[in-house]
Amino acid sequence: MKVITVFKWLRNPQDALVKADGSIEWPGVKMSANDDDPAVMEIAAALASGDEIIALTIGDGDLAWAAARGATRTTVITDALTEVNSSVTGAILAAAVKHLGDAEVIIIGDSSWDYGVVSAFIGQLGRPALAGVTAAQLQEGCIQVTRKLGSVSQVLEVNTPLVLAAMATQSEKNEPSMKQVLTARKKPMEKLTLEELGFSSPFTTVSSLKTRFPDTPPAVLIKGDDPVCACEELMAALHTEGVL
Amino acid sequence: MSMKSLIIITDERRVGGMLMAARTLSEQVIAVVVGSPSLAETVATWGFERVLNLEPASGIPAEAYAALLAEVTADIKPRLILASDMPSSRVLLAAVAAKQNAAIIGAVRAITVCGDTIITSRSMADDKVLEDIKTAGVIAGIFIGDDLEKPQTQAVAIEHIEQKNAAHIKLKGIIEPEGNAGLLTAARVVSVGSGIKAKNDIKLIEELAQAAQAEIGCTLPICDDVRWLPTHRVVGSTHNQIAPELYIAIGISGQPQHLAGVRDAKIVVAINNDPEARILKNCNYGIVGDLYKIVPALTAAFKNLV
Ligand SMILES: Cc1cc2nc3c(=O)[nH]c(=O)nc-3n(C[C@H](O)[C@H](O)[C@H](O)COP(=O)(O)OP(=O)(O)OC[C@H]3O[C@@H](n4cnc5c(N)ncnc54)[C@H](O)[C@@H]3O)c2cc1C
Repeated sequence: MKVITVFKWLRNPQDALVKADGSIEWPGVKMSANDDDPAVMEIAAALASGDEIIALTIGDGDLAWAAARGATRTTVITDALTEVNSSVTGAILAAAVKHLGDAEVIIIGDSSWDYGVVSAFIGQLGRPALAGVTAAQLQEGCIQVTRKLGSVSQVLEVNTPLVLAAMATQSEKNEPSMKQVLTARKKPMEKLTLEELGFSSPFTTVSSLKTRFPDTPPAVLIKGDDPVCACEELMAALHTEGVL
Repeated sequence: MSMKSLIIITDERRVGGMLMAARTLSEQVIAVVVGSPSLAETVATWGFERVLNLEPASGIPAEAYAALLAEVTADIKPRLILASDMPSSRVLLAAVAAKQNAAIIGAVRAITVCGDTIITSRSMADDKVLEDIKTAGVIAGIFIGDDLEKPQTQAVAIEHIEQKNAAHIKLKGIIEPEGNAGLLTAARVVSVGSGIKAKNDIKLIEELAQAAQAEIGCTLPICDDVRWLPTHRVVGSTHNQIAPELYIAIGISGQPQHLAGVRDAKIVVAINNDPEARILKNCNYGIVGDLYKIVPALTAAFKNLV
């Protein structure tokens, strides 16, 4: 089964430099794989069962990341950047998927870094989709998907074509070896620009006005040198808050 | 352009918060409930102008109707579409937003109107800042802002959407977490992280939980790495998302995956000996000190309450 996976489509929000006035900068920060991207590759391997896995990414950062984790080849849209409007990123990724030709299953990380991109991508592809997916396997001609919904998991049977948003429940357990990373760099790599993809944004303008600190009050910190006093102070505060 | 808002609902999560956010720009806020008639009946008493209900056929999940939902809501032409961050709601939002050519914005915390301009504020840089975004056309937001208590209002009549053309997605089974579900509904939760040094020391946490009449939670490493507590106790984005009145985080650094699980807690207390720990910037009250000294004192303080 031919599978397309999407990886490394955003910068890590933890890498943002927040300045004293609440503005943010990204000095030298490249796009990076998110927590859920390894789960994407695991699910892809289970479904492809030996067939082609094509990885798709945008912007800069480690282009061989997916190839080191089982992708047969990689396509990168080099000049696609992080957009304020997640629909634009979603539409670029969807246009690239169409460029890559028909795949039965398309998988993206269900990353809380920006659920907006995940939804936009799903919407632009217009295929049946499931999010919060923790596992998938082939079973009697169908795909069996496990997904988390709140604290229960559901097992679902689905047909292709299909889009899955995969969610990792732990950090990556089998990081690729040095040898896998080196081999990955020799795998086929296609570089495209938005122009070559024939992409023009169909969306009305969305612009960022500013970033600012939220107006929630700062945390009240109590010194714990004298544990009994500290706890008395805390209990008095909790009493005032009405939670005791 | 119309100033109607459309709220997509698959469960009760953040319904009140979404309604309030939409109210800032719309006199007509329409709820579309993809779920059971009883959920629709509850939503009908929230104060929406209209409530539509698409009841999935038995054993078919909400997402199977994403294309149908986009089709039947096309005529509404809302200016704003909102859904919660539940996986099924986000998939439905995806289809509706694509149909309406909407700009999708994730992590929406608030909507404000300034003259003719609608400003959507979203969480950025790991919740450290808010970004104010101006949008000319239709906005589709994934809402993570504060929820509201349910008001008492007269129920509106429910308009039924005929279900048909479901995509092939069938429910084959449900895996319930094996433990007690007490954590999910507890008013108080005492939670422990890698600051605790030995399995035996969990006793300290149990004593505090008992004195505070609280359920016990933990971070992922306490379950996955050392297996001192079971999976159903893990709090976080990929495990249990809880909304207690009081959450006491002990020896927990406050990584985003953990904090996402207590976003809806009313009061978060942190006990941590590292003044730079992230959680001390993301709590309401923090005691900077050694948990081995603070926890017994806190247990005694709770015992003194009764
Ligand atoms: C895909 C993925 C999903 C994840 N999902 C979750 C999830 O759902 N839930 C979750 O919790 N994590 C999750 N994680 C893990 C998460 O990233 C963090 O690793 C984890 O939350 C950290 O746990 P901790 O705070 O217990 O440990 P640490 O980060 O090691 O923090 C321990 C803290 O204890 C403090 N401390 C040490 N000694 C003392 C003392 N004597 N007194 C007081 N304080 C002390 C330290 O200052 C430190 O802040 C996930 C990770 C990945 C990659």
